[in-house]
Amino acid sequence: MSSGHHEHSEQQEHHAEPGFWQKYVFSTDHKVIGLQYGFTALCFLFFGFLLMLLMRWQLAFPGQALPVIGKFFSDSSMPGGIMLPEFYNSLGAMHGTIMVFLGVVPLAVGAFGNYVMPLQIGAVDMAFPKINMASYWAFFVGGVVMLVSFFVPGGAANSGWTSYPPLAELATTGQTLWLLGMVFLITSSLLGSVNFIVTIIQLRVKGLSFMRLPFFVWAQFVTAFLLLLAFPPLEAAGVLQLMDRLAGSSFFLPSGLVVSGQLMHNSGGGTPILWQHLFWFLAHPEVYVLILPALGIVAEIIANNTRKPLWGYKSMVYSLIFLGFMSFIVWAHHMFMTGMGTVINAFFQTTTMIISVPSVIVLSCLFLSLWGGSIRFNTPMLFALAFLPMFGIGGLTGLPLGLTTTDLHLHDTYYVIGHFHYVVAPGTIFALFAGIYYWFPKATGRKMNEVLGKLHFIGSFIFINGVFMPMFIQGLAGVSRRLFDGGASYYHAGPVLKLNVMMSVSAWCLALAQLPFIINFFYSMFAGEKVTSDNPWQSTTLEWATPTPPPHGNFTFTPEVVRGPYEYSVPGESSDFLPQYQPVKG
Amino acid sequence: MKKNVILLSLLGIIVIPGIALAASISGKVVFNGKVPGLKPLDMNADPMCAAHHKTPPMVEILVLGDGNSLANVFVSVASGLPQGKTYAAPKQAVTIDQNGCMYIPHVFGVMAGQPVVFKNSDGIMHNIHALPEKNRQFNAAMPGTLKETSKMFDKAESYFKIKCDVHPWMGAWARVMDHPYFQVTDKKGIFTIADLPAGTYEIEAWHEKLGVQKSKVTVGDKESKTLNFTFTAPSK
Amino acid sequence: MMLEWLHKLGLPPVASVHGVAVDVAQAGVHWLMLVLFVGWMGYFIFVLFRFRRSRNPQANYQGVKSHFSTYVEVAVVVAEAVLLLGFSIPMWRQRVEAFPSASQATVIRIVAEQFAWNIHYPGPDGIFGRTDPKLIDLTSNPLGLDRNDPNAMDDITNVNQLHLPVNKPVIIHLSSKDVIHSFGIPQMRIKQDAIPGMSVPIWFTPSVTSEEMKKKTNDDKFQYQIACAQLCGLGHYRMAGYVTIESQEAFDTWLDEQGAKAQTSGDDAFWL
Repeated sequence: MSSGHHEHSEQQEHHAEPGFWQKYVFSTDHKVIGLQYGFTALCFLFFGFLLMLLMRWQLAFPGQALPVIGKFFSDSSMPGGIMLPEFYNSLGAMHGTIMVFLGVVPLAVGAFGNYVMPLQIGAVDMAFPKINMASYWAFFVGGVVMLVSFFVPGGAANSGWTSYPPLAELATTGQTLWLLGMVFLITSSLLGSVNFIVTIIQLRVKGLSFMRLPFFVWAQFVTAFLLLLAFPPLEAAGVLQLMDRLAGSSFFLPSGLVVSGQLMHNSGGGTPILWQHLFWFLAHPEVYVLILPALGIVAEIIANNTRKPLWGYKSMVYSLIFLGFMSFIVWAHHMFMTGMGTVINAFFQTTTMIISVPSVIVLSCLFLSLWGGSIRFNTPMLFALAFLPMFGIGGLTGLPLGLTTTDLHLHDTYYVIGHFHYVVAPGTIFALFAGIYYWFPKATGRKMNEVLGKLHFIGSFIFINGVFMPMFIQGLAGVSRRLFDGGASYYHAGPVLKLNVMMSVSAWCLALAQLPFIINFFYSMFAGEKVTSDNPWQSTTLEWATPTPPPHGNFTFTPEVVRGPYEYSVPGESSDFLPQYQPVKG
Repeated sequence: MKKNVILLSLLGIIVIPGIALAASISGKVVFNGKVPGLKPLDMNADPMCAAHHKTPPMVEILVLGDGNSLANVFVSVASGLPQGKTYAAPKQAVTIDQNGCMYIPHVFGVMAGQPVVFKNSDGIMHNIHALPEKNRQFNAAMPGTLKETSKMFDKAESYFKIKCDVHPWMGAWARVMDHPYFQVTDKKGIFTIADLPAGTYEIEAWHEKLGVQKSKVTVGDKESKTLNFTFTAPSK
Repeated sequence: MMLEWLHKLGLPPVASVHGVAVDVAQAGVHWLMLVLFVGWMGYFIFVLFRFRRSRNPQANYQGVKSHFSTYVEVAVVVAEAVLLLGFSIPMWRQRVEAFPSASQATVIRIVAEQFAWNIHYPGPDGIFGRTDPKLIDLTSNPLGLDRNDPNAMDDITNVNQLHLPVNKPVIIHLSSKDVIHSFGIPQMRIKQDAIPGMSVPIWFTPSVTSEEMKKKTNDDKFQYQIACAQLCGLGHYRMAGYVTIESQEAFDTWLDEQGAKAQTSGDDAFWL
């Protein structure tokens, strides 16, 4: 196989060799773009994580000067190391924005989608390679705008990642940059999603029918539709808010606003609720954008490491499609406390309960896929397995929030923070780690170190629960979210206040637990154990049919798919896996 | 040591004639009319503030001393200073304390470019929301653990409000000057504007509720003149 | 039993009539969650042990054949339907449609602002006076009440101090001057956003006085508080209001005192 790799690179040399810039920076190769997305997104994930570590200092020890590091901050953020509330609010808003729009989505869709999906469908590249490149660079510019916003007067956006007006419209310059940054990020996602949809429909290799698609490809397919249909309303809303801030319009501002005792001179007649509808019309499907690719990755790894087909592949696919559809009609459950009538409230409660059904089905299928398997506990599998109960907790705790009766008490408390972090952090981010460990050998030709990987897993698993589990307790106690002092101003928070210290210490330990990963990542890239085969995990899907790492153009032969994606342990076969592209005997 | 003494006395020779030549205007501001029954400030909104006072402090829109002398009147030279002359801002800061959930002083002047230090003696969260029109507005939080913060206004500007959003009753009035000839009356209603060159000046006295009065006065070298103001509440 | 566990975890004691039903639903849904979680985890751990590679080197192509999971899914759907149709939807209807008549309730307005709660009682006439944003003065008239309006003469306003009589329904008309806030009292199991440009009514019936709660919790410092639940700026974290639930008599006395205080400022409207 490695000789095949050699041949191919020699062939390449006969073509005009692209220069460094074209090859690594302004590349149109889906794999390079995928890796660019991956590196950038990992950096942003790390940065967003650092913001949270700072916040956790303030929550554990409100008003106390941050030792050592504190003095590196400016007087407008942390004078003498004491954090100001406006800076805390900036950290909160930017942590959310960066983790969602610059970290998880680019990693799950931009990186894994770009790198793996075309390989899995046997394509030479994406359908529109240049649009693909444009998508990355729009994302990059959006990210730079977001980072720059930390350094404008008044600091970065500080009205939450949801940017509710009127607060966001009264906020400092950072909010304008946030909106501009979002326009770039949304443009990036729209370009990407069109590309994904066309690629999956048009460029599947011969024999790869829709029901033979790896589940990961299905997940990317549905995700692309969510992005394509949900983002435009937010882009429009972002432009409207920009107009309100810069051009004096009042789309989201009612008449007669009195700010700080002074009557505001705006034309009025708008409503802040309109923003919430437009925002959540995006942001609820966005939640599924965060989850679906993760489910896709976990499904691939579970099938591979149980050495058996996924249980209920078809019902998983149908559930996925139904989930995607339903995600467009549940958005107002984020707005239960805005003053809803019975009918509209009943509608959104009901759709919210209905959407839990396909989620339960997909999760059940993954659980049941384990039965009868021959389970290999390697690092990717550990992360994929941990995803199941963690995502389960995230899903289950969504129930009391989705029912308005119980939400009356829990709305906008730490219960909500715990709930969605379980979905996204030990849920999605664990799946993304699993994906990195799983596809690393394909991209680099080297395996990541197992010992460091397991160390990374155990530390992360323990401490991430230490961070998020107590949030449910604080939420039950009624502690509101986004409090600069973590609730110290409130009597009812008293009994659960001490948990803040434990959560913060867990968060800092969680940061330490990432060190093995960072070391492993760079060490393995240059000095890791070389893989001896193009298919080191003995997998069935097409990405493993390429040379390692795959060259420009991907395949050295024209694959033809003859069977479903997960033909492991087929009775009567000598090998315990039958790749999709392996011709039928006889 | 000896050198310093000589230097100092030299300085004295240069400086003292300047002072000796300067004129000054001083006077008293009184309130005339029925003293209204003012309400005490209701600080129940924040029990930590209420606990700070044995008896609730009165609202500060009308602070009177003996004989109805009027405090918190901003007296300044409105016109008559030499054209085109600029005055350097002092380096020493004006200090405003947040004490007992009130701003002390309640009315103050500062020169453009002069630092303003806000102290937080209360040890609870305040925020300083300054609402100027020409200068940059700011809204800076002061968590209880932050003892002081320094701010600056760059441009001269007429009276504007500074308030605390956490304690709605907390308000102070500020004015940013481009010259140093101003003073705010104390509880005795007394003001003195010293070190003026000889000339004819228009003197302005401003009260947050009772408005502005102006009066012309001419002073010669070394001369001290008295100028009194009387404010009355408007009749209905 | 679940409710006891939730209280142990941190759920504050309930102090309103409808809150009891909220807690029943809370316990119900947490039962459902617990049973599902424990069930799945039991299965999960067993499977990881039973089907590890060293014990089960040859995977089974078929996998699970039983329909047990389908029954579980159906059971989940049924449980959710019961919670939804049996508790949640009727409850919400009661919250937003079954308002008590104003004559039998304490009716107040609450206007939120950065970072305080302005409480407005209509006074003995039961009619709220006219307000106008142009009249707002933060020291003397934070609500912009028009004192020339006859209905406004007896109105009582204050900041952050909400007093309510026990066992009598309260109707609160909630709005905001500037940004979106959220009015919540954890023990009352009540929450509603205060949105500028809108006035949204909510109602509840407090059932435990502050004094009773002090005894119940064995803590003299017990204090009902309005907690702002929606990020509203740099002072969001300490936008607390103070709630006193007391007997009707004590409430009336307090209200009279407040009314008297409002009148002492006397005839001189200029200084208001």
